[in-house]
Amino acid sequence: MARINDVGGMAGFPPIVEEPDEPRFHSDWEAHVFALNGALIRRGVYNLDEFRDAQERLPVQRYLAASYYERWFAAITTLLEEKGVATAEELAAPDDHGH
Amino acid sequence: MTTGTDRFAPGDRVRTRSLDPAGHTRLPRYARGAVGVIVEPAGSHPLADDRARGRVGSAQTVYHVRFAAADLFGAGDHTVTVELWEDYLTPVEEDAP
Amino acid sequence: MSGDHSSSVISAHVRQVEALLEQRGLLDDGEIDRRIDEFAAGGTPANGARVVARAWVDPGFAERLLADANAALGEVGLSMSGGLQEQRLKVVANSATEHHVVVCTLCSCYPIALLGPSPSWYKSEAYRSRVVRDPRGVLREFGVELPAETRLSVWDASAESRYMVLPRRPEGTDALSEAQLAGRVTRKGLIGTALV
Repeated sequence: MARINDVGGMAGFPPIVEEPDEPRFHSDWEAHVFALNGALIRRGVYNLDEFRDAQERLPVQRYLAASYYERWFAAITTLLEEKGVATAEELAAPDDHGH
Repeated sequence: MTTGTDRFAPGDRVRTRSLDPAGHTRLPRYARGAVGVIVEPAGSHPLADDRARGRVGSAQTVYHVRFAAADLFGAGDHTVTVELWEDYLTPVEEDAP
Repeated sequence: MSGDHSSSVISAHVRQVEALLEQRGLLDDGEIDRRIDEFAAGGTPANGARVVARAWVDPGFAERLLADANAALGEVGLSMSGGLQEQRLKVVANSATEHHVVVCTLCSCYPIALLGPSPSWYKSEAYRSRVVRDPRGVLREFGVELPAETRLSVWDASAESRYMVLPRRPEGTDALSEAQLAGRVTRKGLIGTALV
């Protein structure tokens, strides 16, 4: 089914915003997510297409609310659970524990 | 089953698949069911749709396919060139004169 | 962007997952920092600019670049094999009659080796949704007004190739050295959302 990432030709998105002197990453964790993904793909835990697929399958509202690297991190944890590397509980955000 | 070995040549007219697959694909929605022209082959790779499902198919040719914007959106005088796997494409027979 | 609180939450979450993967033997000690350093030392738009300047001063190189960009990159000591796998590069040349612009409508594919990390606007839905449908309008948003007769050609990086635009050499630059010419080339010029 057509997915939320597939936006070519769609109407309704806001004006394009340029960020002058944009840094490579906006925070340290973004760089960590970037590096983590590369490490897992190189180890064959998942491939690049599975990674893209996992982002595309995020719930639409969550996808649109997430920043670029938040989507990456959500895809990484989804795949780690699906590949049996770790359980959902182990992968849950620190804040989620005890709720 | 396609063989994935340069089934099309530059200048060939092709129609893209119109069906909406259940999972990951690299045929953008805006370019589905449209007629375009092969620009050139661009290497050979296993289909991304299969790789996303954890399957590894045999490599097939990927092509640059050029579309007139008017054929995609009903308006526009530009072209859009999309890179598409052979599986997404069927030949368009030239109309009889 | 997320606020400070959500940023610190996700930051702790990422570290937790890293620690878990180290325990499982899927991440080596120090590997993340090493990869971040490697990435920082990798592609920058200066690489793409160097390729363009060479093409401007050497018509033979320009011809080879447009015919087989991967091979031509080797002549200037660059390659597209720094990432997960070697990628095919396609260079498209602007002319007096045609202007090219590059996008990835499905995700954010981009020639990092030659352009460095992509800017946020390139990854935005705003750019990706509109540039295939109305490139002239998008270029206007970037302050680029092209003559009505200039043909516009959009390239959607939907598969394995990556694209770079070869901008037109600016007028009045005959006296400039190759390095000075490279200094004129911008990242947006290499994507096609600016003239040089």
